[in-house]
Amino acid sequence: MKTDCIIHSSFRDPSGFLFYKNGQIFRQVNTSYKDNYDLLINSGLYKSLSDSKLLIPHQEADINLAITDSAYKVLKPELIQFISYPYEWCFSQLKDAALTTLEIQKQAIEHGMILKDSTAYNIQFVNGRPIFIDTLSFEKYNEGEPWVAYRQFCQHFLAPLSLMSYKSISMNQLFKIYIDGIPLDLASALLPLRTRLRIPLLSHIHLHAKSQQYFSDKVVNHGNRKINRLSLLGLIDNLETGIRKLKWKGMNTEWADYYDDTNYSSASFNHKKEIVSELISKNKPAVIWDLGANIGTFSRISSSKGIRTMSFDIDPACVENNYLECIRNNEINLLPLLLDLTNPSPGIGWDHSERMSFVERGPADMVIALALIHHLAISNNVPLDKIADFFSKISKMLIIEFVPKSDSQVMRLLSSRKDIFPDYTQSHFEHHFKSYFNILTSTNINDSERTLYLMQKK
Amino acid sequence: MKYNIIILQLLITAIVFPSIAHAYLDAGTGSYILQLILAAFFGGLFAIKLFWNKIKNLFKNLFKSKKDNNIEN
Repeated sequence: MKTDCIIHSSFRDPSGFLFYKNGQIFRQVNTSYKDNYDLLINSGLYKSLSDSKLLIPHQEADINLAITDSAYKVLKPELIQFISYPYEWCFSQLKDAALTTLEIQKQAIEHGMILKDSTAYNIQFVNGRPIFIDTLSFEKYNEGEPWVAYRQFCQHFLAPLSLMSYKSISMNQLFKIYIDGIPLDLASALLPLRTRLRIPLLSHIHLHAKSQQYFSDKVVNHGNRKINRLSLLGLIDNLETGIRKLKWKGMNTEWADYYDDTNYSSASFNHKKEIVSELISKNKPAVIWDLGANIGTFSRISSSKGIRTMSFDIDPACVENNYLECIRNNEINLLPLLLDLTNPSPGIGWDHSERMSFVERGPADMVIALALIHHLAISNNVPLDKIADFFSKISKMLIIEFVPKSDSQVMRLLSSRKDIFPDYTQSHFEHHFKSYFNILTSTNINDSERTLYLMQKK
Repeated sequence: MKYNIIILQLLITAIVFPSIAHAYLDAGTGSYILQLILAAFFGGLFAIKLFWNKIKNLFKNLFKSKKDNNIEN
């Protein structure tokens, strides 16, 4: 339950802002935005976008809820269950977010409006698909005017996607450092030479970077040069072509073949699935976070029960696989996301609070941590006590699998290093976790050395 | 004399300095200029693309109706 206040990230736009009141989120529309808001509704653009699930729907609420005197209306937007950011998305999620933004732009122009910004943070994933959440981003389109948000689109979408495609899949992590997308001069310097042979990348990144540099210290009379509607649509069409052509080659990383690689017997695997399924059904959590979820095999146990599930993994290939599977099957309860538990998303932006840290978005009703603890304790040298402390911050209930040293996976981890983990034992594990949790059940998994626990935060 | 030069410089700046509309975002001069150039180029390509799609659809419908006629005969 959040206290009544304006939401920290909602301050740049004079047209309005989001705020909490009585534990609910509202959007104040200021009088300065009156004409644009009325046009958004009267032109039919709002209906067209919300019907096609491209824009977050809202209800008009009581104007007396407004926080300041400059309010024209107060809206109640549909609630987003989990906020995620572009540095937590896989390649295809960012690509779909880009294409959604362009589709919205095209529909806006058809209805006489245009997007005044095109930041990746205007997109959230709802029911597994990207949706635009900034209702106040639409402005009247005056033919002849250029697209003010063109630079931002290149920095937030085209630059990171092309870097992920041509350079390294982890390039979207640059979003954590550059709060307004990847600077074009950096993107241009990092992209390989062969990208200059691709017209969209040559135009919107390389030439764009050069143009920015050239005009950075010059004052220019823009005169009466205008961009007619067809030219603007042509520009957008080329951006779309550029985005569509970007693909991620080389999907195979160390984790993608995980399930083939481990020596899980089907007996132990199925038993584990049964236990997890039973524990979920008995406790009925509203939201589940599956940590180290790989391609989402166990996440789907909860999502198929209609429970909202966030499926986190460190490996971009796994998250990509998981997301593509969600698309293929039209899954609405599952959201795959990137997460490195040893370095989870920090709070960034102005005052460290524009984008929430991972922990701030919790706690989850239930966290599932299967085949995970040995990676934290042994591969990453995190003491069991600290692991227990962290899990207590992010969960109300915990399903966790203890993987002992006698397990083949742990033996593999220890095969090439000194065993400096005398405390990595089942009794120590239980002892440390009992400081933060009550252990409700513990079950040995058939045909394996592992034990599955259900715990409740104290 | 020096005073006049300063006024002249200020006047020139006032005339030459672009009156960018009060935009929400800083579009950036470089981005603006590039957009002017690219939009003209891509606008032309887009017009051709739309025209070509129209021609394609015309032929599609033409052959479709021919096929229907042949089947009827």
